[in-house]
Amino acid sequence: MLKGTMAYFKGLKTTAKYLFKKPVTIQYPDVKRPVRERFRGRHELKRFANGLERCIGCSLCAAACPADAIYVVPGQNDPAKPLSPGERHAAVYEINMLRCIFCGYCEDACPTNAIVLEHQYELSFYDRRSSIYTKDMLLVQPEDGYGEVPPVLEQTGRQLNPPAQIDL
Amino acid sequence: MPDEVTLTIDGQSVTVPKGTVVVEAARKIENLIPVFCYHPKMAPVGMCRMCLVKVGTPKVDRGTGKVELDTDGKPVIQMMPRLQTACTTPVSEGMVVVTKDAEVEHAQKGVLEALLTSHPLDCPVCDKGGECPLQNLTMGWGPGQSRFDYSDKVHFQKPIPLGDLIYLDRERCILCARCVRFQDEIAGDPVLGFDNRGRSWMIISKSDPAFDSKFSGNTTDICPVGALTSADFRFKARVWELQPVPTVCNHCPVGCNMTFDMRANEIMRVMPRENDAVNEIWICDRGRFAHHFVASPERLTTPLVRKNGKLQEASWEEALDLVARQLDGIRESAGGKAVGGLAGPSLANEDLFAFQRFFRETLGSPNIDCRPGTALDLPLDDFGAEYGLTSGTDLMQLGKGTVVLVFGADPEEEAPVHLLRIRNIAKRGGTLITINGRATKLDRFAEHTLHYRYGAETEVLAAMLKPLYDAVPPEGKRAALRGFGDLRGVLANASAERAVANAGVDGPTLEKINQALASATNLVIFYGQEALRAGTSVTAGLANILTLARKAGAPNSGLVALVPGANARGALDMGVRPDRGPGYSALKQPGMAAHEMFDAARQGRMKALYIAGLDPVQADPTLAEALKKVDLVVVQELFLTATAQLADVVFPVLSVAEREGTFTNAERRVQRFRQARRPVAPQRPDWQILQSLARQLSAEAVIAASANVSDKSRRQARRAEEQARKRTDWSYASPAEILMDIAASVPLYKHISYASLESALGVWGRKPNEAYYFDGTSYENTGGLGKQVPAGAENGGTLSLQPFNVRTFSQPAERPWKLIATPFLYDDSTLLNGSALLNNRKARPVAALNPADADSLGLKDGDVISIASGRGELRLSVQRTRLAPQGVVLVPLHVQGVPLVTVVEAGVTAVAIRRAEG
Repeated sequence: MLKGTMAYFKGLKTTAKYLFKKPVTIQYPDVKRPVRERFRGRHELKRFANGLERCIGCSLCAAACPADAIYVVPGQNDPAKPLSPGERHAAVYEINMLRCIFCGYCEDACPTNAIVLEHQYELSFYDRRSSIYTKDMLLVQPEDGYGEVPPVLEQTGRQLNPPAQIDL
Repeated sequence: MPDEVTLTIDGQSVTVPKGTVVVEAARKIENLIPVFCYHPKMAPVGMCRMCLVKVGTPKVDRGTGKVELDTDGKPVIQMMPRLQTACTTPVSEGMVVVTKDAEVEHAQKGVLEALLTSHPLDCPVCDKGGECPLQNLTMGWGPGQSRFDYSDKVHFQKPIPLGDLIYLDRERCILCARCVRFQDEIAGDPVLGFDNRGRSWMIISKSDPAFDSKFSGNTTDICPVGALTSADFRFKARVWELQPVPTVCNHCPVGCNMTFDMRANEIMRVMPRENDAVNEIWICDRGRFAHHFVASPERLTTPLVRKNGKLQEASWEEALDLVARQLDGIRESAGGKAVGGLAGPSLANEDLFAFQRFFRETLGSPNIDCRPGTALDLPLDDFGAEYGLTSGTDLMQLGKGTVVLVFGADPEEEAPVHLLRIRNIAKRGGTLITINGRATKLDRFAEHTLHYRYGAETEVLAAMLKPLYDAVPPEGKRAALRGFGDLRGVLANASAERAVANAGVDGPTLEKINQALASATNLVIFYGQEALRAGTSVTAGLANILTLARKAGAPNSGLVALVPGANARGALDMGVRPDRGPGYSALKQPGMAAHEMFDAARQGRMKALYIAGLDPVQADPTLAEALKKVDLVVVQELFLTATAQLADVVFPVLSVAEREGTFTNAERRVQRFRQARRPVAPQRPDWQILQSLARQLSAEAVIAASANVSDKSRRQARRAEEQARKRTDWSYASPAEILMDIAASVPLYKHISYASLESALGVWGRKPNEAYYFDGTSYENTGGLGKQVPAGAENGGTLSLQPFNVRTFSQPAERPWKLIATPFLYDDSTLLNGSALLNNRKARPVAALNPADADSLGLKDGDVISIASGRGELRLSVQRTRLAPQGVVLVPLHVQGVPLVTVVEAGVTAVAIRRAEG
């Protein structure tokens, strides 16, 4: 009987010990804990410093994706108003966040560092349709661009040559 | 054997025919020597240097001329001082080839590095990326790292249009000349060439309009880099995302095997599928670029029913119910004969069989036809089936000893891929003879060419038949050939001199042609729309040439009729014609032909017309009047055509991409196409619509059986009715079941089933993984090679000569010109709807006149003339061209703004031409 009562106090002692310590629980969503620098959260589509989209619509991310979560429809750039450097851009870029396993293979595949898994992790949806993130949702603001366009992409109209059609 | 050579490649010995190049010999033992410029379909040039190998030959003692032997008794091998290109080095006896060692590897690396110094490596944006031999070979044989600074690379302006359809990216080009050689050697349009030299060396187009060829799309397939890309597939998708679905081209009677490369339920591009018996690995630009009609927003989506004078959307049940009820009513009141049916030659065999069954069996109407019923209708061609190319004939295998006669046809416009195949027969040593009323492209490759005067075709044929007829040995003449005697009188006066005088042909050439025909081992005769339009005597004459040359039913010989429409032969085989049943069976009672149906409609005798896949009103607007007098007009169509606009009920159908079926091509090969696309609207396949109607109607036989109650016991009557019902039951679940029914009821199609069409075992001759290095593009044929149905003459039995008459055309003095309707590949067919890329290539509404004739009339380009025949008048602007023979005005067929039907008469149309006022 006495032994039982002692055990009761022994347990309360542990409680009392933590009563005056700082709690480890974080009050999410009021308080948000910062993630690690290399955390793999929701993707962003980056831009170059001049505001052009980094994504050139090559679909290599979609090819690398083990979950088949990415859908890209490429398009041709209007030379007067290009969306991205070079001839090609992504006309449609969609990621199904329900399918995505956040492995980061798309980042590895991307030849222009356009797709980056960022720190946003709050991804919940009321229906499946809203789990599809479109290009507008993924693309960063023009002022958030960084880096210069590499020469391999800057080809359009670089060196004018005689036309291919000549009169013979 | 003297014709074979044994050599050793990397220690493995291989025996190949003499003259084989080392690359091909190595290919035989699956040793892949990397190549860029070499292509198995073209002559080697050795431009890219990628295939460098070490080659040695046995050392020969100059004194004795004998091979020197070493101490082991083996021949001493003398290696050539430098590496050799394996694609241009022919094999020789005892040759030793080393394809893998440090020196070869060093050279291959060096060549690839040199090629890459002027290549932008923009693979992520390049349409070829993923099926690119340069990518593949760089991965396999390349150096791995570049020592070359990117900014030192050669840069050109990014893609420039090489023509409307093809873009050229000169940075990517490795100057292998495959495209130039394809155009020169295979397409026969030498429109590409090289310009400049050194670092500015580039491909250019030499023609006006640029890249003027009907085969230009093939250059993008064989380009080993992404230099040539198609305007249609530019940045559409990555190639690895595409799902190729086997299909058959629905544009012309060649029946090229193709794939629809699908992504997300859309056709992204059309690629050829290798089938040596049909199209090798080529397709024409119409087949490749004219697929947009499938996804056109103008497609009909729901059934339309005329209410209050306007076509309004309706449900399938409503529309089917209405048609079934009205057809039943008309049949009851006016009989089945008051119903007529027209089904076009672009429908599948299954549809056509269901169509004729619906008419003959269910409605009890003999009136069906596969022609639109205008003045431009061609006669129904039986000879293409009776004397057709014997089954098992492969045009790709024919060469020496083969005589190809092309009569009254322009294969370039009517069946483009046949042009390549005919040309290849000539290149392999065959004799090509073209006999036409005007100059065609095929003349360039022909050994003998004759140009007859229009209207005098039979004179030429008589002069060709005469020596063959006389050469038939006297013993057993009559027994072996039915109708032999009838021809005697016709040919009595025939002679070369007469043909020279009446048809204006060249006598010595005619003589040579007759010699060639007499000595032919194989004889293949192509005839086209001009021959068909000239009357059955012309096609009968051609059939008689084949028979008298003893080639009817003989292997590798026969007639090929280029009847327009992808399934024109199928329509005739299925009996969609007034005079014959399925499989050319005789009918108890022939029905009305299309033009007779319209005549009957004008007189109010035709109560209902059912039109599937044809647009008679577009071809002849005057038929609208006749249609308005018909109580019920039902149209099954893809688009709201001019005919559909006048219909009472319009049923939307599925296109070739959205359904299954088979086509029979001009060589009578039955080929299957698959469903590539999910229908986006509730359209239905043609056969299903007919089945739904047939199920709602009682078949004629059932009605007849139930009407006989009085003269039989009730039980007997019920049994008879039950039997009739069973016999006429429609329970097809899929087109495959219709084909089973066809196989059961059409003797010609006895051995045809979907399973037999699918066999493709090892026939395309390409070993696995080879595509990887030859083309990048695989062309792999997973959909089957199809199966040829036998020609009538193959069954043995007595051959008969067809009735042939020499007709002379007398030109009325007041109409001294001849009008010839000329077919063009790019016309205003609804199948070109939505394919805007081809718009610039379309035939223009002009009348082509020889410059000499134009001068005599004082006409310049663009002047408007009036062309008047005995029937009507036509106004067109003039185009001066030497392609038009003197005394002839060429007017394009099926082109908007050219109401040809108002003018043409049977055979040759004599017209008067004068400058139009105003």
